[in-house]
Amino acid sequence: MLAYVARRLALAVGTVFAAVLITFLLVHAGQGSPGAVKAGAGATAAEIAQANHELGWDRALWVQFADTIGHLIRLDLGTSLIDGRDLGHDLFTRLPVTGSIALLATLLSGVVGVVLGVTAAVRGGRVGQSINSGAGVALSLPAFWVGILFVYVLSLQLGWLPATGYVPFADDPVGWITSLLIPILTLAVGGAAMIARTAAVGMREALQQEHIRTLRAMGTPTWRIRYVHALRYASVPVVSVLGIQFIALFGGSVIIENLFALPGLGQTSQIAAAGHDFPALISVVVVATAVVVLTNLLLDLVVAALDPKVRTA
Amino acid sequence: MSVQPVTDVSSVAGSEVATEPVPPVARRSRVPGFLRRPGGVFGAVWLVFVLAAALTASLWRPYEVDEQDLANRLALPSGTHWLGTDALGRDILSRIFTAGALPLLASALMLVVAFGIGLPLALVAAERGRRVEGVISRVTETLMALPLIILLLAVIGAIGNKLYAVMAILGVLISAAVYRVLLGVAKSVRQRLYVDAARVNGLGSLRVNLLHVLPSMARVAAVQAAQLFGIGLLMVAGLAFLGFGPGEPEPSWGFMIQDASTHIYDAPWLMVPTGLILAITVVAANELADAIAGKGTDEKRRPLRRRRVVASSEAPPADPTAVLEVRDLSVAVDGGPQLVTGVSFSLRAGQVLGLVGESGCGKTMTARSLLGLLPDGVSVSGGSILWRGRELVGMSDPQLNTVRGREIAMISQEPMVALDPMFSIAYQLIQPIRRFRGVGRAEARTIAAELLGQVGIVDAQRVLSSYPHQLSGGMAQRVCIALALTGEPELLVADEPTTALDVTVQAEILILLRSLVRDTGLSVVIVSHDLGVVADICDEVVVMYAGEVAESGTAAAVLDDAAHPYTMALLGANPHVPEGEPVPLRLASIPGTVPPPGSWPTGCRFATRCQFAQEQCTVPFVSLPAHGDGSVRCIRVEELTRHHATWDAEAVGAGAATDATVEPAPTAGALS
Repeated sequence: MLAYVARRLALAVGTVFAAVLITFLLVHAGQGSPGAVKAGAGATAAEIAQANHELGWDRALWVQFADTIGHLIRLDLGTSLIDGRDLGHDLFTRLPVTGSIALLATLLSGVVGVVLGVTAAVRGGRVGQSINSGAGVALSLPAFWVGILFVYVLSLQLGWLPATGYVPFADDPVGWITSLLIPILTLAVGGAAMIARTAAVGMREALQQEHIRTLRAMGTPTWRIRYVHALRYASVPVVSVLGIQFIALFGGSVIIENLFALPGLGQTSQIAAAGHDFPALISVVVVATAVVVLTNLLLDLVVAALDPKVRTA
Repeated sequence: MSVQPVTDVSSVAGSEVATEPVPPVARRSRVPGFLRRPGGVFGAVWLVFVLAAALTASLWRPYEVDEQDLANRLALPSGTHWLGTDALGRDILSRIFTAGALPLLASALMLVVAFGIGLPLALVAAERGRRVEGVISRVTETLMALPLIILLLAVIGAIGNKLYAVMAILGVLISAAVYRVLLGVAKSVRQRLYVDAARVNGLGSLRVNLLHVLPSMARVAAVQAAQLFGIGLLMVAGLAFLGFGPGEPEPSWGFMIQDASTHIYDAPWLMVPTGLILAITVVAANELADAIAGKGTDEKRRPLRRRRVVASSEAPPADPTAVLEVRDLSVAVDGGPQLVTGVSFSLRAGQVLGLVGESGCGKTMTARSLLGLLPDGVSVSGGSILWRGRELVGMSDPQLNTVRGREIAMISQEPMVALDPMFSIAYQLIQPIRRFRGVGRAEARTIAAELLGQVGIVDAQRVLSSYPHQLSGGMAQRVCIALALTGEPELLVADEPTTALDVTVQAEILILLRSLVRDTGLSVVIVSHDLGVVADICDEVVVMYAGEVAESGTAAAVLDDAAHPYTMALLGANPHVPEGEPVPLRLASIPGTVPPPGSWPTGCRFATRCQFAQEQCTVPFVSLPAHGDGSVRCIRVEELTRHHATWDAEAVGAGAATDATVEPAPTAGALS
């Protein structure tokens, strides 16, 4: 078990390292230079060279890489080339926005998806088929389009929810949740569809297991067979997919944050990409990768706790 | 982003009986399977249509993409602009279809890159063994753990807004997922024997891959490709939505939706056409994937309303001492062939009855119908099962639940999968004990430990706190028997309870069953293909062949004085030799196999394999009384008994039969 945890941790650190390396190499493979970005448009070649020199861009590649890693180990994410803001602080305030959207959307997807998937598997027939087809369509809809649809219906037509903007939790908890509701609903459409499919397949498979027949032969009530035994069996794949969903929604919130003007990680990564803000790019990749890696670790633990075979190993 | 090959076929018959009628030989068709499904046709046609329309757009589009009709800005669909216009008065139709080429081609490029990397890696990893596979798998795991969209934005930030290059890099990242899925296939193919055989025959690794591994991968790869293609489309659109698409005035789906979102107040229509076209295109890719995977049509096969059979007889049991009386029982696939026909037997309290026969004779179906536990799509089609005077055929599930466990319990063939892997043994025993006996948790646990002791488990407490995977097969079967005893049933249905166990364990379980019968007065119906088991434990025997009773009677009578050629053949093929008798030089065999349901011959169903079959055997006839209360279904039984016919080990040739007057069949196959 200890060896397993050690290996997982090594893999986690390796993943973050790989993300930094890839981004670092991409940044250096591109034609731009941080000096050009920092000096701004219309700067002369000399000014750019001067800026590059100040940023250490003219040092050997491996020195720069070691420097980058060194700063990251000290949790120093550097400053933006564009406005000089402290990136560590900036991302620290943005992370909760993206995190809460992704987390709440995952929870909503989980609840709705499991209910729909279990219904599809248990009811079967026409109900099962319509849920399955509905999930197929929902998976094919681009999230940003669904988001606009929700804004049109819930905000413009019904006037229930604000269309865009973000209210910090500390300022007004109710305003916070209403400002996040449309983004969460938007992300949950695809998420719930994914979970519904997984849950339906898992439940159907579970209900065909030999041990279910043993339970039936013992006269076990149907509700107990379905919602205790079969659901428990299907929980392992469902929880795994929930974790994958969280990761996907965390990344997917880039587009959603842009659509709803939410001050999260996605928004800053889009701005960094558009402005070739190299330190901002690397730091956002590091933070996002760290979140993904931590989620995966947590997921492994949860799945291990759910599966007696892993737990008792 | 992984492909789970989902098999959704409700296993109609499990492994015991092949219920499917033998399909007519598939017509050789050049149309691939997925194009015979409506979803697949739609998916393929739509994708080809969009691509063709996009590539030829400059030839047919009514307006140029940047042509502004300032008088008709934000117009609704009309004769001049079929899908309306945007804020600059540009024609939506022209722009949508012109924009189609980029996402389709860029996604295709992504696929080429992803498979170009993932496929060779999978082949190499599968071939080169564990170490190489370990290294490649670590790298791909790392790649798969990266946040894709944010990393792509970093790519754009670094190399600039070059969509094809970005999608190619996405292909590199996604190749990890391709590798994962294909590695699974490649490994399973390589484990198959014929690949080894090909290697032994000196085929080079390249040719092995080309001839065996790649063809097996084709379907899984195609499914995954179609799915990833859909993801690629959404990705391109998403990037364009963020402003990382082709620059204005070049149209792109993502940016057109972005544009529409800014006009949601004054022109909500604007978001409809582009969103729909994009969604339909992704749906098309997913439908194609489903069709290739062979899903969709199978799911329609849900249980037809089960025919409720009204019990055919209300008469009191013929044998007043019988607790179980099965009369004329038939089981059939709903709307399909019969699996069991006209089976009758009865069982007295405290007795053990054996259902014997080869695999596929309907033994298990008969046994499972006693508890109303036939597989989906299979049901009792006639006859009656009287349990202590009550008719079980036609009972609803809730009614049956009052019988199951409390009066009739079951243990199955595979103890290792019969217990719920997710719950401890304690939970699985305590829960029914509480239900059946109305006791509290603590008392139920005590009873559970007692029951485990009763089935010969010494360290009951340790077993109680174990999970099924921690038990050996024999131990698991003991737990299953203890579970079956929780409701203090009067009848135990045991479906090949020892088949999956080691020989020494088999004997222990049989001894246990025998002692339970002796000590508790339990009645048992035991399904077996092992005559040794039957001789060991049974009072009564029912020999089944092709869904009907060939011979029945007391165990002593049937085994010592078999009247039906099939029973003789089974006895002759039995390797167990009773003590004191000479070991035969060779075992008899029964030529051929049990005919599958739906293709049983008329007349005697065994005739096609019988040494003694003659012309008269092809005519339908009823079974005759034999062995006192029993029966035998052989038209030549008197003749054979008179001549003391035996099933000969040398089953072929004219001189095979022991007596010249008992003539062997001219040819076995001529009768079918």
